[in-house]
Amino acid sequence: MPTLILLFPLLSFITIGLFGRRLGDFTSGLINAVAGILSFIAALITMLNLKAPEDIILYKFLPVSHTSIDIGIYVDRLSISTTLTVTFVASVIFVYAIGYMRYLFGNWTFKFFAYFSLFLFSMLLILLGDSLILMFFGWEGVGLASYLLIGYFHEEKFATKASLEAFVMNRIGDWSFILGIIYTFWLFGTLSLPKLFENASYIPGITLATLLLFGGAVGKSGQLPLHTWLPNAMAGPTPVSALLHAATMVAAGVYMVARLYPLFSLSHTTLSYITITGVITMVFAALVATVHDDIKKIIAFSTMSQLAIMFTALGMGFPTAAMFHLTTHAFFKALLFLAAGAVITGLHHHTQNIFEMGGLKKYMPITFGAFMIGALALSGFPPFAGYFSKDAIVSSIMDKSSLVATMILFTSMLTAYYITREAFVVFLGQGHYHEEPHEVESIMTLPMLILSFLSLVGGFLLWSYFTYMNSPIEPPSSFIIHSIYGIIVAVVGISLSYLLYVKKIIDPNTLYELFKPIHSFVKSQFYTEYIYHNIFAKGYLAISRLVYKIVDRILIDGFVNGVASATSNYGKPVSKLQNGKLNYYALYMLYGVVCVFLLLILVIFEGGIPNG
Amino acid sequence: MLSQIAFYLFGSISIICGLGVVSASNPIYVVLWLLGALIAISGIFFSAGAELLGALQLMVYVVAIAVFYILIITAVPWRKLHKNEQHNRLIGVAVLPFVAILYVEAFIVALSGVSLSKNKIIETITKNYGNASTIGIKLFSTYFWAFELMSVLLLISMIGAILLGRKEEKTYD
Amino acid sequence: MIESLVAKFLVQNVEQYFVLAFVLLGIGLFGMMVRKNLITILMSLELALNSVNIAFVGIDKMNSLIDGQIFALFTIALAAAEAAVGLGIIISLFRLRKAENVNEIIDLKG
Repeated sequence: MPTLILLFPLLSFITIGLFGRRLGDFTSGLINAVAGILSFIAALITMLNLKAPEDIILYKFLPVSHTSIDIGIYVDRLSISTTLTVTFVASVIFVYAIGYMRYLFGNWTFKFFAYFSLFLFSMLLILLGDSLILMFFGWEGVGLASYLLIGYFHEEKFATKASLEAFVMNRIGDWSFILGIIYTFWLFGTLSLPKLFENASYIPGITLATLLLFGGAVGKSGQLPLHTWLPNAMAGPTPVSALLHAATMVAAGVYMVARLYPLFSLSHTTLSYITITGVITMVFAALVATVHDDIKKIIAFSTMSQLAIMFTALGMGFPTAAMFHLTTHAFFKALLFLAAGAVITGLHHHTQNIFEMGGLKKYMPITFGAFMIGALALSGFPPFAGYFSKDAIVSSIMDKSSLVATMILFTSMLTAYYITREAFVVFLGQGHYHEEPHEVESIMTLPMLILSFLSLVGGFLLWSYFTYMNSPIEPPSSFIIHSIYGIIVAVVGISLSYLLYVKKIIDPNTLYELFKPIHSFVKSQFYTEYIYHNIFAKGYLAISRLVYKIVDRILIDGFVNGVASATSNYGKPVSKLQNGKLNYYALYMLYGVVCVFLLLILVIFEGGIPNG
Repeated sequence: MLSQIAFYLFGSISIICGLGVVSASNPIYVVLWLLGALIAISGIFFSAGAELLGALQLMVYVVAIAVFYILIITAVPWRKLHKNEQHNRLIGVAVLPFVAILYVEAFIVALSGVSLSKNKIIETITKNYGNASTIGIKLFSTYFWAFELMSVLLLISMIGAILLGRKEEKTYD
Repeated sequence: MIESLVAKFLVQNVEQYFVLAFVLLGIGLFGMMVRKNLITILMSLELALNSVNIAFVGIDKMNSLIDGQIFALFTIALAAAEAAVGLGIIISLFRLRKAENVNEIIDLKG
């Protein structure tokens, strides 16, 4: 049964990839969605039947001396619960994608669904693979699928650039990840997850190994300093943003750290490094999100920020809380993206700037409701899902480090501010449009409704999830008391944006004029993108050009051309020997024979061959 | 002693005939000199106890190949050839010292002793089975693959010779 | 010194075969160099090939071996193949170029 989870997306990928053109775009989308749903059902059955962690070895790969790298599936509570979330969210988005991509049908859109299936397969490989090497295969597969999907509008320059940037940034992380894998193998002599968990004990090199592995997670989850690709990845179609850059792919980094937590927990240095990365990233991303005006980029930055919160929880030693936040975040972040996609569809793909929208509430009531639920869930407003998961993290951390908890609360306030700001600006107020906006069709609203429901009630699964994972959690009564700070910051953030953007007690434009330098400083992501482009990329180009001029042109070309001209210069006189006359060729042969005999004589008289 | 006399006799005949091959100007005479040399060499084979090889030498070389050469000479207008100069005299003179050096070297090598170990095993086999069957056994056991390759080579050369000798429908230029 | 050399010539030994082989090889090579006619060049080549056979047979006789004769056999087969192909080439060359003198065929001149 666990094999089937992986098999359906793979089959769907092969089918659509090979016969998509004949099947048609709509059928391809349908196959894709059905494969996702079947995979979800298989995951559900596996979860219900699961008693103890099991390692299903499918194939013994590379048996070298006493060890071998097996291809297998490792199912335990962590992997199967995450698989369930991923397949569920993916299925919902797959259904939505049929509706969203309808305006592109006929332009080889089946490719899009094939990439989706490939992506889901790779993601499940990360989740269920029983060895680090298999995880790495999935890791790369996800990178490939994201590259293809971000650059889906490949006629557009910015889309290809964004896909390339995502690829390169991920490569940096992957480079670190594979070094980490190699080092782990060197330390433990195995890459199999169950064996690693068995052998996990403190070894001096473990800090470096886990730091390298964490480097991979930084690249994949878009944390500082490898974050620039994530907002730019919004160049892809909105279902891509929803699936890859909100719910699943970026979560791979968090999942990987949680999966290998027995290793990570051995090194305090690594854990504190994870915490520092998480704290800096979450504040950074939240600040950037407050000033951006692209409907999708705001959500993208919020994804960065939320992932950073998960990393902080991991770094502080609460993997279960992080994974629960990952689950609820998948629901409401996918919901937000789907709603944003619905807005874009409703506006006929004309604009993505929130300040060119407004008053959409009366045109698109269902989308408005869905977006508001998602926004409130993200803000951590009770009783939405985000409230439970985020405050589970906050209340856990509070006992350990009040500073980190304060930072999370500060981020939460900013989060509540920017996401409700986006909601208010887009849906309330007035807007004038050349074309009448319209509510999207039911194939797109249905997924939003399902996710809205889960964003509403998903948080109540908190206690059952922690029990399932055998992790301690405080009872509901004390939880509510502890979460009072969370509620306060959420209310503060929401009311701030309400006052600014609905009541307009201060005109946002005057504020903008007032803080213009700070605004542009923050909006440029603290100049990180600028620095990367101008110092790293251009510096690298300059060095390359220098190397090209000196090494390539002078040294290598000089050597090669020198060899060529020497050959031809010396060859010309020598070629005179080849006069085409057979007799002379025989003569040269004679010279050769004479020389060989001379050599033979020398050998004999030097005593080379014993005289008998 | 008798075989020693035979060796010297056939050896000297073959050398004289060889010189004739090199020096004669009429191609027909060249073939005749070559025939003489080949027959003398087969005599050496016989005197050395390689009966099968000697017989093959007579059959293949003396009969088949020599006749072949005569056929070819008749196929090309050899009367015209006969009128032309047949030797590169200049190169001949120039090369002679090198041939002399080669001989000197060879003699030095030969006389200073290239010797090989004795092996009596084959000798007993030879006594028991005779030369032809011994070669047959060896040929179809130890050297079987070489033999097969040789047969393929002969087949290919046969096809090649037919293709080359065929009258062309049109020339390539 | 001279007596020992004479004695060496009276008793049959492998060196004598080698000497004969070398003499014939030299003559064959010399023929290949001085001849102008392609057919006679080929005939000189046959002579050179045969000289090698003599060396093989000599080694065999002196050491009671049989392998040399087998290789001599191969050489004969090779010579037959070489004669067939070589003469075929000569005929077609003559037909195409009306040339049999090697000094007229210098397409490979560098």
